[in-house]
Amino acid sequence: MSIEKDNRVALENDGMRLDIVAKVTGAAKYSTDQYLPNLLWAAFIRCPYGEATASKSSKEKAEKVKGVLEVNMGNPRGRYDGDRVGYICAESRHALEEAMAAIEIEWQVGKPKTRLSREKTPLEKIDAPQRANEAAQAMENAPVVIERTYDTQVQTHCSLEPHGGTVDAKGDSAIAWVSTQGTFSVRDDLVRTLQMRPTNVEVHCEYVGGGFGSKFGAGPEGDLAARMSKKYGRPCRCFCSRYEEQTDTGMRPGSMQYMKVAADKSGKILGARIHTWGSVGTNGGGGGMSNPSRYNFGVVAKSHQDVNLNSGGPRAMRAPGHPQGMFAVELMIDELAAELGMDPMALRLKADGNRTRSEMMQIGADMIGWKDRLPNGSAKGVIKRGLGMGVTDWGNGGGRATVGVNIHRDGTVEVLSGSQDIGTGFRTMVASAARSQIGCDRKYVTAKVGDSRLPPGPGSGGSVTSRMVAPKAMNAGLLAKQELLKAVAAEWKTDAAKLSIKDGAITDGQQTLDWEKACKLIPNGQISITSSDDGPFAPRGTGSEGVQFVDLTVDTETGIVRVKKIIALQNVGQAVFRSGVENQITGGVIQGLSFALFENRILNRENGTMVNPNMEFYKIAGSMDIPEIIPIIWKNEGDVSVNSVGEPPGIATPGAIGCAIYNAIGVPVRSMPMTPDKILAALATKETIG
Amino acid sequence: MKTFDYLKAKTLDAAVREYTDKTVLKAGGIDLLDRLKERIHEPDTLVSIEGLKDLAYIKEEAGGLKIGAMSTLADIARSDLIRTKYQGLWTSAAHAATPQVRERATVGGNLCQRPRCWYFRNQAFHCKKKGGEHCFAADGENQYHAIFGDAGCHIVHPSNIAPALLALDAVFVVKSKAGERTIKSTEFFTMPDVDIDRENVLKPGDIVTEIQIPASPTQSATIELREKQSFDWPLVLVSVARVSGAWHVGMGAVAPVPMRSAEAEAILKNQDLTADLITAAAAAAVKPAEPMSQNKHKVTLLRVAIERALKLSVGMEVPQ
Repeated sequence: MSIEKDNRVALENDGMRLDIVAKVTGAAKYSTDQYLPNLLWAAFIRCPYGEATASKSSKEKAEKVKGVLEVNMGNPRGRYDGDRVGYICAESRHALEEAMAAIEIEWQVGKPKTRLSREKTPLEKIDAPQRANEAAQAMENAPVVIERTYDTQVQTHCSLEPHGGTVDAKGDSAIAWVSTQGTFSVRDDLVRTLQMRPTNVEVHCEYVGGGFGSKFGAGPEGDLAARMSKKYGRPCRCFCSRYEEQTDTGMRPGSMQYMKVAADKSGKILGARIHTWGSVGTNGGGGGMSNPSRYNFGVVAKSHQDVNLNSGGPRAMRAPGHPQGMFAVELMIDELAAELGMDPMALRLKADGNRTRSEMMQIGADMIGWKDRLPNGSAKGVIKRGLGMGVTDWGNGGGRATVGVNIHRDGTVEVLSGSQDIGTGFRTMVASAARSQIGCDRKYVTAKVGDSRLPPGPGSGGSVTSRMVAPKAMNAGLLAKQELLKAVAAEWKTDAAKLSIKDGAITDGQQTLDWEKACKLIPNGQISITSSDDGPFAPRGTGSEGVQFVDLTVDTETGIVRVKKIIALQNVGQAVFRSGVENQITGGVIQGLSFALFENRILNRENGTMVNPNMEFYKIAGSMDIPEIIPIIWKNEGDVSVNSVGEPPGIATPGAIGCAIYNAIGVPVRSMPMTPDKILAALATKETIG
Repeated sequence: MKTFDYLKAKTLDAAVREYTDKTVLKAGGIDLLDRLKERIHEPDTLVSIEGLKDLAYIKEEAGGLKIGAMSTLADIARSDLIRTKYQGLWTSAAHAATPQVRERATVGGNLCQRPRCWYFRNQAFHCKKKGGEHCFAADGENQYHAIFGDAGCHIVHPSNIAPALLALDAVFVVKSKAGERTIKSTEFFTMPDVDIDRENVLKPGDIVTEIQIPASPTQSATIELREKQSFDWPLVLVSVARVSGAWHVGMGAVAPVPMRSAEAEAILKNQDLTADLITAAAAAAVKPAEPMSQNKHKVTLLRVAIERALKLSVGMEVPQ
C-alpha cells in the first residue's frame, strides 16, 4: 500500500481547524477567561501533608480580611497533600489569597504511605488467582522461562487550563462556564447541587484546555462555585492553582508488574503468571492495568492488588491502565525475544494474531529501517542507536448523540453539537463530517459546540466522541442536503432524486446552480435538521489498531536519551479531518514519550508532600525533546465508519521507547521514567555481569 | 502573592538608596516572581531596576570584556563577540532555560537568583534557609541536590553562567551607598554554613552593576547535562577556560556554590591537553564528591562533563 496516498484518506484532507485563528489570536475564550461583574472567588483550604490532623486551628484572622464572606474549616483531617479540609469565599482574588495566608493550622503530621514498593503485599502473600495451576502446568518444563518485575511512576494530567468553573446562579436558573470534557454531565451535576430544573441550567465550554480523562462532571471546584453563587446571589469562580492541579485532580496510578512468562523454542508463548500492583489514593481503587494484553500469552493466571497511598486519587487518564501495562508487556516481549535469540518483531508477529497490525509491522519496519537494527547492545561507540516497537488497539465503545444542521438562505451552514472540544479538534470534526455529505464549499460551514443548549452528545471519554457524533453529523448533513435538493427540484420542476451537489453547486447533469443561489430557494428561512440516528453511517467496529516504531540514541556515558524519530501507524476507520487525526496521533505519542522519559510525581517519603507540584519540577517533554513524529493514518479496505483515535496512540509509545533503549544499550531499563540515573545504573549492572 | 509597593528606579543611585533590608531588588523578575507567588518571600516593597537600560551593554575593553548586569542572557546569546571569543560563556547563556526566559533573565539576576531546591520553594517545608532547623533533602528526595560540600543545606546553586565566569576569573562590580567595589567571582558565592540566608556576599543595598572578564581565554567550552533538552535545570554544568596559559574548571549544579575544581586544575596546570591528562583531571575533580542517597549518578555525570568540556575546548572529538 502507498502510505502517501493513505494519509489522504480523510473526508477533509486540506482544511485548517475552524478555530485556529481564534485560538492563536486569543479571541477564543476558555471558561477560565470568564470574569463576570460582581464576581466572588472561592478556593479550598488544603492539607499540605500526606497524613495530618489539625491539632490547633483558627480562622479568626482569615475572617477578618476585608472582603472575605465565608471561611469554612469543617474537616480537621487531611489524608493527602492537596486534600480539601475547608474553603474560603471572598469578594476578590486578593482577599481570597490574603485570607488563605491568614489561616492558622498546626498540623500533627502522621506516617503517610508514600511508596508503592514499600506498601504493597509481597507476591508470596498474594492468593493464587484462577488458572494458577493451569498456568504453572503450561510453564512447567518449558525451555525458556523468564521472570521480571517492571514498574511505572505516577503521571499527572497537567491540563493547561486548570479544573474549575464560574457559576452564576440567579433565582431558579444558572449559567455556568466550566472547564470540562462533559458538558452535559456538568449540567446534571449542577442541577443536583443547585436543585434546579435542567431547562434552567446552562453550561458553556466553547473552548477547553485539555482534560485527558480528569474533567468529567462539575468536580469539587464547580460544586463549590455553584453553592457559593446560589448562597450569595452573585457569580462565583473557583479554579485550581497549578499546585492543586498536580495534587488533587487525578493521576495515572503508578504500577509494579511481576511477569513470569514461558515459551517454547519456536517463540510460542505457553503461559504466564502475572501479578500487578497499582498505587491509588487513600480510598477506593482504579489502579488496574492492561497486562497481559494484545499478545497471546497462552494460559494466563493474573492477579492484581490496588495499594492505597496517601495521595490524591486516580482519575481516568488517556487509555487508563494501558500505557503502563504495555510498557511492561512490550519490554517483556523484547526480553523474551533476546532469550530466544529471535528478532523481536518476528516474535510479535507470532504472538499477535491481528492481521491489520501484521501489515502495519511490515510497512513500519521498512520506514524505520528495521533491517538495519543491530542485536541488543552491539552498536559501537559512546552514543548508541536503538530501535524499538510497540503495538496498540482500542475497544471502540458506544454512546448516544444528536447533531443539528442548519442551512440558511445566505448559504451558511451551522453544525450543532453540545459536546465539547477539549482541544482535539472536535469542532472541526463535526463540521467536516456534516460537510462531507452536504457537499458545499468549506467556507460556508461553521460549528457550534460546548453548550448545553445545543443537541446532546457524549463526554470526551473512551475515545467515543467522534465515533458517536460523526455518523449523526453525516446523517444530518445528508438529510439537510436532501431538503435543499427538494427546494431546487421544486424550482426546476424536476425530481429531487435526479439532483446532486458537485463541486459545491447543484446539478441535474444539464444545468447547475451555485450554492448561494440554491440556498436562496430555501423556504421558511432555513433548513433545520436534527439527527439522533446514524442513518447509513452506523459505526462498525474496527480495532483502532496501531503499531509504532522508535529510533533513538542513548549516550552511554551520561544515560541521556534522545529520541530521533517515531513512526506511528494508526487505524482509525474512516478519518474525518486529516490534520485533526494526525494531531491526535502525534499528541498521544508525545504524551507517551513524556511519560516514558520524564514525568514523575514525587512524594516526599517522610511527610507525603509532593515536592514537584508544578510544571518546573514535574518534567514534561518540551519542544527540544520531541522527535520527528510521522503519523500514518491507516485505512483498511472497506472501512467506512469513524473510529477511535484519542487514546490508542499513546499506548504503544512508552513500551516502544523502552525496547529501543534496551536495543541500544543491551540491558533493559525496567523502570519508568527511564532517566539518566536509571540508565547509568542499568549499564553498570551490565558491566558488572561482564 | 502579598500586596507590595513597586518602586521603579530611574537611576542606579536611586536604586541603591531604596534597596534596604526592608525591600527586595527586581531585575528581570524571573526568580523573584516565583518566590512572591509561592509566598516564599513576602516583601513590602520591590525596587525595580528594570528601567536601568544603561546597565545593559557588552563591550570589549583592554583585551577583556565588560558586561552590564542588566544585559539579558539573550543579549549574550546574540553577541558575536562572546560567541567567537568566549565560547564557554556563550554556551552557558545561550542554552539556558527557554528563549522567552532568556529574553527576560538578566546577567545580574542569574548570578543572584535564589536556589531552586524543591524544599526551599515549597511552603510546606520549613527548611534551614527559611529559618528552620532541618535540611529535608538530607533524608528526602535529593536526586537533584549537591554532591559536594556538606554544609548542612544541600542546595545546588542554580546559575548557569557562574561556572563560566569563575573559569574566566571574572570580577563583579558592586555598587552600594558606600561607593563602588569589585569582588572576585571566586569570592562572591558563600556556602550555607557561612550564611544560611544568602548564597553570596552581597548585603541589602549592594547591586551588581557589571561583570568584568580580564582577558579572553585561548580556549573555553561548556558542557551542560540535563534530563530534558527544553526548559530544564542542569544535572551538572561544567565550563572550562584556559586563561594566560592556565586551565580553569568551573562547576555548577553540584554544590551550594558554583565552584572551581582545585583538584582538576592542579593536574592540568598550564599543560597542553592530552586524553590521559583529561581523564586524570576529571577523575581528580570528582574524588572529593560525597553524593547523597539518590544522586550518585551526578558524580559520573560530572566526570564525563569535565572530560567533554576539556576536549571540546581544544577541538577534540566529543560524543554528541
